[in-house]
Amino acid sequence: MSENLDEDISSLFQRLLPFVVSALLITIFYMPLGLFSLNGIRPMVGVACVYFWLQHRPDIFNLWSVFCLGLWDDILSASPLGSCIFGMLLMYMLVNLTSRFFNAKPFIVLWYGFMLLLLVTMFGKWLLISVYYSRFLPLSMLCFGYMITIAIYPLLSLLLAFIQNKLMKD
Amino acid sequence: MKHRRSLIIHFSRIRLLAKKFVLVILFLAAFVLMLLNKTDNAIIDKTSGVATDVVASVVDVLVLPARLIANGYDFIKNIGNIYADNHQLRLENQRLNMIYNRYKSLEVENKLLASLLNYVTPPKVDFVTAKVVAEEGSAFAHSMVAYVGDTKVEKGQVVLSDKGLVGRVDKVGSNYTKIILITDINSKIPVVVENTRVRGILSGDNTNTPKMIFIPLDADVKVGDRIVTSGVASVFPSGLPIGKVIRVTKNEIMVKPFSDLEQLEYVKIVNYNVVSDTLIQNTETKGKENE
Repeated sequence: MSENLDEDISSLFQRLLPFVVSALLITIFYMPLGLFSLNGIRPMVGVACVYFWLQHRPDIFNLWSVFCLGLWDDILSASPLGSCIFGMLLMYMLVNLTSRFFNAKPFIVLWYGFMLLLLVTMFGKWLLISVYYSRFLPLSMLCFGYMITIAIYPLLSLLLAFIQNKLMKD
Repeated sequence: MKHRRSLIIHFSRIRLLAKKFVLVILFLAAFVLMLLNKTDNAIIDKTSGVATDVVASVVDVLVLPARLIANGYDFIKNIGNIYADNHQLRLENQRLNMIYNRYKSLEVENKLLASLLNYVTPPKVDFVTAKVVAEEGSAFAHSMVAYVGDTKVEKGQVVLSDKGLVGRVDKVGSNYTKIILITDINSKIPVVVENTRVRGILSGDNTNTPKMIFIPLDADVKVGDRIVTSGVASVFPSGLPIGKVIRVTKNEIMVKPFSDLEQLEYVKIVNYNVVSDTLIQNTETKGKENE
C-alpha cells in the first residue's frame, strides 16, 4: 500500500516536473534583477521550454501543460491576455508537425529547428498582436528578442537536460 | 487478431482526431480571451487582478533569495567603503534629481502663472511607495508588477520614479498592481515641450524610446528639449517630467525617458484626485448636515 502511494507520488512528481520547472523559469525571467534583460528586452523562455520538453518528453508534457504555461505567462505579462497561450500553442502545433524530422537528432539540428520554429511562432504572435492593436509593432524589438532567445537556448537546454537526467525517469 | 488490430488503428485515429479537436478548442479559447480583454470586461479585469495577485506573490517569494544572491555578488564587487560611499552618492543624486526636476517645472510654471492673477493652487496629493517585484520588456509589452500592500490603488493612477513619470496603473489586485510603462504600446500621454509649450501626444511603441506625435508641422522642437505632461484630458497632472528629445525627424520626435525603466526597484503611485474627492465628500456631508 505504502509502496503504491510512493509510486503514485513519484509518478505525479515526474509528470508535473516539466511544467513546474518551466513556470519557475518564466517567473525567474520576470524578476527585476537586471540580469536577464539586454537593452530592456528579455528572452521568450516559455516558448523555449515548450520546444525543449516537446522534443524530449512529449509523453508527459502535453497540450494542457502548454495551455497552462501560456496562461501563467499571460498573467505575468502585460501583452493581451491569450496572446502567450496562442504563441505556445503555435509552437506546440509546429513541433508536432515537424516531430518526424527532428526526432532523435543531435543538439545542433534541434537548435536550428528551434531557430526556424521560433521565427514562425514570434512572427505569428507579432501578427496577432498587431491585428489586436490595429498597428504594426516594431520589428526591430522582435528581431532583438528573437536573437536573445536563440542565444539563450543552449544554456537553457543544458539546464533542462540536467533536470531531465537527474530527476526524471525514462 | 485482425479484428483487434483494426480496432487499435481505429482507436488511435479517434485519439488523433480528438487531440486535433482539443487543439482547435484551445486556440479558440485564446482568441476568446483576447476578445474579452479587448472589450475591457469588468469580470476579466477583476479575475486578472486576482490572478496577478497569486502569480506576483510567487514572484515576490522567489525574488527574495535571488535578490540576496544578486546583492551578494554586488557586495563582493564593491568592497567596503566604496560600496557605502556609492550608496550614499546614489541617494544624494536621486534627491538632487528630484529637486532639479521640480525646480525646472516650477520655473516654467511660475513664469506662466505670473501673468495670471486668479491662480488656483492645485490640490495636495496622496501617494504610496511600491516595491517592483516583476518587470517585462519585450516586443509585445512593457510593464511591471509592484507590491502595494493594503493601500487602495485605482486603475489609471500615475506612477513616478525619482526622475519622472514611469507609467500608469493598469490592473489592480488586493496586494499587487500591474503598471503599464510609458514605453508600452498602450501608453498615450498628452505632453508639452517645456520651453516652447508645443503640445503633442507621447505614444509608446514597445521600444525604449516613445515617440511624440500629433505635433504641428511648424513646431519648434530641438534635440535636448525637456518633455513634460501637459495635463490635457485630466489623465495626468501637468508638469510631470518625462524625458528629453533625442532625435527629431520629419514625421516623429523620439524621446528618451528620464527614468531608467529597467533599473527601478521602488516606484511612487500617486493619487492626484484624493484630496479633491475628499473635499467633495466633506462638502456633501456638510450640506446634508445643514439640511
